[in-house]
Amino acid sequence: MDVDITEPDSPLEQLTRHWINERHAPDILPAQEALLSSILDHLRRQSDAVQLLRGDPSTSDDEHLRITLVQLDIERVKFIVRSYVRTRLFKIEKYARYITSNADIQTRLTAAERDHASRHADLTDRHFNFSVLQSLPEPQRHLDDETPYYMPPMVSAPDVTRPVFVHALVDCPPVVLPDGTRHEMLKGHISLTPFSVVEHLIARGEAELV
Amino acid sequence: MSLPNTLRTSITPPELELIATQQLIEIIPLVSMERTVFISGVYGPLRPPNKAKVPLWIAVNLKMKRKCHIIAPNWLTIEYLQNQLALETSNPAFSELPFRYMEISKVLLDVASDDLEQPDKLRSLLKDFREARQAKSREGLKQLDHSELSLPNLSTMEINEIRPYFVEAMSILSRLALPPPRSDV
Repeated sequence: MDVDITEPDSPLEQLTRHWINERHAPDILPAQEALLSSILDHLRRQSDAVQLLRGDPSTSDDEHLRITLVQLDIERVKFIVRSYVRTRLFKIEKYARYITSNADIQTRLTAAERDHASRHADLTDRHFNFSVLQSLPEPQRHLDDETPYYMPPMVSAPDVTRPVFVHALVDCPPVVLPDGTRHEMLKGHISLTPFSVVEHLIARGEAELV
Repeated sequence: MSLPNTLRTSITPPELELIATQQLIEIIPLVSMERTVFISGVYGPLRPPNKAKVPLWIAVNLKMKRKCHIIAPNWLTIEYLQNQLALETSNPAFSELPFRYMEISKVLLDVASDDLEQPDKLRSLLKDFREARQAKSREGLKQLDHSELSLPNLSTMEINEIRPYFVEAMSILSRLALPPPRSDV
């Protein structure tokens, strides 16, 4: 039962890790299109097999036990897939306007996600326009004005300085903390530190968020 | 909304349990089952009375149908926990426990208490751990600064418990540590 597993992670373990990382990270993490579609494929194959066996009257009682377990497995995986997708959807809608104007974050989204972000941004813009903005004087109609430092920005962007709990999966190269000191993270180490400090370790899979 | 408010800042204990039940545990099956392909991996075959290694969620499911006995992991024994608790209470640092010990011990005590030695004693030992470790987490708050706080050997559930407060506290500290913005006069 130890965490010390040397064999490579199964696709589901990888997805679970991406799911948890996504849930804790303030920013949107790189999309895992290939991994997700291979798991969705597997889900479909398993469901088809279960359907087939259920419809077969010659299936024995022992087989029923296996079928229940396989179904339970399917439901568990579906939960993780759904929660993962919903987490990304939530962040994409929240930062839709920021995404449309930032090329860097777009590289981390799939084509469908980029499309959704720009449509969502358009829709909210149109809605604001029709409901309020069109009746305001011209200079006050914009949604992306530069604001002075003491006011929150009009376009909400992910706050990468938000602290996260990070767990090193391997011995990581030292990271540089905001105060300029270097900090060594050996395998198994757990730290609370700003997301921007460990962002690259998460992307490389050397550390996970917990 | 795509993600309910309660799920936005943190993961929930049932979700942590879902993750923890993916870990493998030894059982003595009372039914046989062929080798079976799951999405999470390939498990089996089960051949009573031979021991087998399956994920905890399969073990729990079989146990609830009285179709297996679960073998307690070596850390969930009175002897191990007593020794470890002595270390925990005599040391200022967190002692080593499995990363997901809380979730696993809770699941096992809930569904398979008859497979564990003296479950009530185990419960009270685990409670002692919890209290000792909670006190240490609170102490840890004193060392919080704006850049880094090391928390070796803290388990997932404990992290989740301190998360909202620690994250918010550190955000505020880092905002205070920021160089004052140039005033635009």
